[in-house]
Amino acid sequence: MKKKIGKEIISVNNVVKKFGDFEALKGVSAKIFEKEVVVVLGPSGSGKSTFIRTINRLEPHDSGKIIVDGVEINDDVKNLQSVRSNVGMVFQQFNLFPHLSVLRNITLAPQKVKGLTRSESNEIAMSLLERVGIPEQSDKFPSQLSGGQQQRVAIARALAMQPKIMLFDEPTSALDPEMIKEVLEVMTELAESGMTMIVVTHEMGFAKNVADRFLFFDEGLIVEEGTPKHFFENPKEDRTKLFLSQIL
Amino acid sequence: MRNIFINKTLKWISINFFSSRLNTLLSLLSLLFIYYISVEFINFLLSADWEVVKVNRRLLLLGRLPLEDTWRAWPIFWIICFALFSSIGAWGSPKKIELTLMFLAIILPSLIFLTLPNLHLFIITLVISILSYFLFKKLLRPSGYLKISRQFLIILWILIIPMIFLMLIIGGGPKPNLWGGFLLNVLLASVAVVAGFPLGILLAVGRASKLPAVKFTCTIYIETIRGAPLVGWLLLAWFVLPKFLPNIFGLNDITVVIRAMIVLSFFASAYIAEVIRGGLQSIPKGQLEAADAINLRYVQKMLVIVLPQAIRVVIPAIVSTFIGMFKDTSLVFILALTDLLQVGRLIPEQDPSFFGKQIEALLVVAFLFWIVSVFLSNVSSKIEKNLGIGTR
Repeated sequence: MKKKIGKEIISVNNVVKKFGDFEALKGVSAKIFEKEVVVVLGPSGSGKSTFIRTINRLEPHDSGKIIVDGVEINDDVKNLQSVRSNVGMVFQQFNLFPHLSVLRNITLAPQKVKGLTRSESNEIAMSLLERVGIPEQSDKFPSQLSGGQQQRVAIARALAMQPKIMLFDEPTSALDPEMIKEVLEVMTELAESGMTMIVVTHEMGFAKNVADRFLFFDEGLIVEEGTPKHFFENPKEDRTKLFLSQIL
Repeated sequence: MRNIFINKTLKWISINFFSSRLNTLLSLLSLLFIYYISVEFINFLLSADWEVVKVNRRLLLLGRLPLEDTWRAWPIFWIICFALFSSIGAWGSPKKIELTLMFLAIILPSLIFLTLPNLHLFIITLVISILSYFLFKKLLRPSGYLKISRQFLIILWILIIPMIFLMLIIGGGPKPNLWGGFLLNVLLASVAVVAGFPLGILLAVGRASKLPAVKFTCTIYIETIRGAPLVGWLLLAWFVLPKFLPNIFGLNDITVVIRAMIVLSFFASAYIAEVIRGGLQSIPKGQLEAADAINLRYVQKMLVIVLPQAIRVVIPAIVSTFIGMFKDTSLVFILALTDLLQVGRLIPEQDPSFFGKQIEALLVVAFLFWIVSVFLSNVSSKIEKNLGIGTR
């Protein structure tokens, strides 16, 4: 089941992000390739969440260059729109819209942004709910679902725009242990289907099985990167060793 | 059996009122107070003479609206009753007791206000109310036409103020300065709320905006309006504005009623804006990020994600503002308009036989204000419960 990694789709060059005096990213550079699954690791406060949030400009970067699918992310609204419709995002806290039904949560973007009709977008939504395994919940409200189900709806919502890249910001950290598996299964299926994914996670089992490459962040920089094999068998940096020894 | 019941009651009383020395003292004092008040009130009711209200009922309800124009009030009343009871039928699930209270609220004032020549008009009102309720509750709601009939009602509510205006103006109606009484209060409040609400939403969104110019303008507007008393703004609209405004489009000739409506709408908008801003602040940042991440535009994000949630949170405060505005409309007496409170204040002074009957007159005034306010707050709590489904 060897996937073919494609050409470069995201290029991050020397990106700096400051919050006041605090430098969250201190000149990060990375390249992500089509169909690649990249897992981002690092201790808390190391800038890994900020890193993936700059990729769809939820955090505007202060300097450096980010190019997503040939479009540079800057103040240009048109660029931003085109990048955001190519990049789906899944949050730690799900962030479903609590006043809208599950179905409406998913159909919203296809209808409002892509201008699809109600029946077209309903069809897309139902097939996505099928894919994440909860088609029977379509008429419920988010508060009526379990955490794992909510996160699967959030994944379906992000997929509804048919993005080329999916960002996951600690998707299982807010879940009860027994619900983590169902979300990871959906993500594994997505990875196997050839989606380009950047995943911030502490689920090492998942990372080991699915990741093509690891990025290890510490204090706003990428300290080490490599294949899972490299990481688990002979990490070079002391900080990486320390981190791995703490979470494994 | 009976003994058990008595024992239970005694136990309940001793637990709730006499559980400690302090509680015993407080209970006895309250009992004394309640006794005193109710004796006074019952004494008053027994000796009350409602003649002052009966004779002046037209003034109380319609102000100085000329006699030949009073027919205009009935269709207005019918439209409102139809809209009200159809909506209750279409959306609500009132309990029997609530329905009974509602009919009492219509019938009790009628005992004071009704005269024999008007009886048939009143019966028409009752028939319209009851029929519209059952039409929507029993016939349309179980049928497939529910959605269409609800849409029809929403359109009806939107058109209700223009229809009231039409009824007052059609076929050479009286001068707007003669509109008065309870009708004026209701009309002013409705206009203020209907015009002030959308404006308030715009102002709230503007004040929360990231654009400095927009934010600054909205803040200045809100703080200026809230910074002066309503009476001040009303006087300003009357005396000062004509001196400053250019006289185009007959701007300076508009009647004082319309001016009052404009001032009340602006005033309401500032308060509603602040209430809604509170709701906007209660929306978690994650909601905005999620809306950004699925690429919604700013207007869509506001209309579909933020405002529906924000407004739902502040419904009680908004309704409270509405009720406040409704009662504030009685301040238009300062523009020489005769609203309900002004009529109630003046009628006992105008005829020697009514001297000293202020309490009767004012009590009826208070009762009318109270009915509408209580009704509004009830409807709001019902709406809250209905909207509660999707909240976290």
